Amino acid sequence: MNPVPPTPSQDAAQPERRGFLGVAAAGLAGILLAPGVRLIEIAQAAPAAGAATAGADPQVRWGMLIDSTKCSSGCTDCVTACRTENGLPENPGTTGAQWIRKIEIKEIRTGKTQSLPVMCQHCAEPPCVDVCPTGASFKRADGIVLVDKHICIGCRYCVMACPYKARSFVHEPQTNQKPDVPRGMGTVEGCTMCVHKVDRGEQPACVQACSAAGHGAIVFGNLNDPTSEISKRVRAIQTSQLRADLKLDPGVRYHGI
Amino acid sequence: MGRLLRNLPRAAVLWLLLAGAAVLAADAPGATPRVPKPVIEAARGGQCVEDPAIMRRDHMKYLKHQRDETVHGGLRGAKYSLKTCIECHASQTTQSVAATQTNFCVSCHSFAAVKIDCFECHATQPAATSAFHPLVHPSGTTALLSRLVRTLGVETPSARSQP
Repeated sequence: MNPVPPTPSQDAAQPERRGFLGVAAAGLAGILLAPGVRLIEIAQAAPAAGAATAGADPQVRWGMLIDSTKCSSGCTDCVTACRTENGLPENPGTTGAQWIRKIEIKEIRTGKTQSLPVMCQHCAEPPCVDVCPTGASFKRADGIVLVDKHICIGCRYCVMACPYKARSFVHEPQTNQKPDVPRGMGTVEGCTMCVHKVDRGEQPACVQACSAAGHGAIVFGNLNDPTSEISKRVRAIQTSQLRADLKLDPGVRYHGI
Repeated sequence: MGRLLRNLPRAAVLWLLLAGAAVLAADAPGATPRVPKPVIEAARGGQCVEDPAIMRRDHMKYLKHQRDETVHGGLRGAKYSLKTCIECHASQTTQSVAATQTNFCVSCHSFAAVKIDCFECHATQPAATSAFHPLVHPSGTTALLSRLVRTLGVETPSARSQP
């Protein structure tokens, strides 16, 4: 069964044969193409709507800057936008999911009041991730803290661990969810920074709603990029993180509190 | 050769059992089959991301792999995205893959007696303004071509295994 070394005459015939095989292969490819068997490759090569996104970039740290001096008391545009975008209940009641909420704070000595939104602060050192027994609570490469509901068992340790009260538990069976935002009973959820929009290169719904209403109180961007709008702003003005004493390094910063 | 001979009685028994089962399961010609078959509604697009035979066997593996890539890695709109599956396979009447017993996911899964909990969280209907999978866009050339091929009845491996 040893291979027979090619004779000089066979060698001479090789180029012709190769040429013929090339033509035959090209013809075969054409035949295959016609009945639609090879169409997958064409479709994948063509850029079209719904094209795949590049994914979470570890060089990026997504963050928000909330200017509480521009945030007016009684305005709930960001909260409404969040509910609409993510299919959350209109009236959360005492047990319904709430990803973003408006709070009023008052300095007792001076009587100065402030209104500001609070949501998941997307910590660099998230305590919810530390306590999660299944690994469902996790931080993406680009700094967004999420719950993988496929793994979540609904133990609610993360709800207890979060100092910002940012997470909610879904108590009721859900219907009419948004295709981009799956939500279901028995899992914990919280602000995703509209990760489905961010992956497509858009801004979170609350940021869009705030600027569309003319307030412009929330700036969203990459904190790791020195040329981004948010980086310039945090360099120029005094900002603070909520409960900075916990050293969780939240990605959401506030101005004017 | 020796192994074949040793296994011969076992193979014969298996063959007899199979033949017997086939005789028992066979229905009289013209009669409605005793075993109800799943109703598989036609998809909206022209072509699935893989050959239907492969999809029937392996769709759960593709979906599970894709879900981790999407949730943890942020890769959206990829080849095996559940969202794009639903956009194509949603029923023309209910606009859903799981609203009634004849809808795509439910009909096969109830036939196979495999309970899925995908739709406790995931939407069963495509968004009103959703973009179709690039492969199956109803107005796309690809879908048009493969629909034409199906209409003309050209025998291709994928057309043969089409439900």
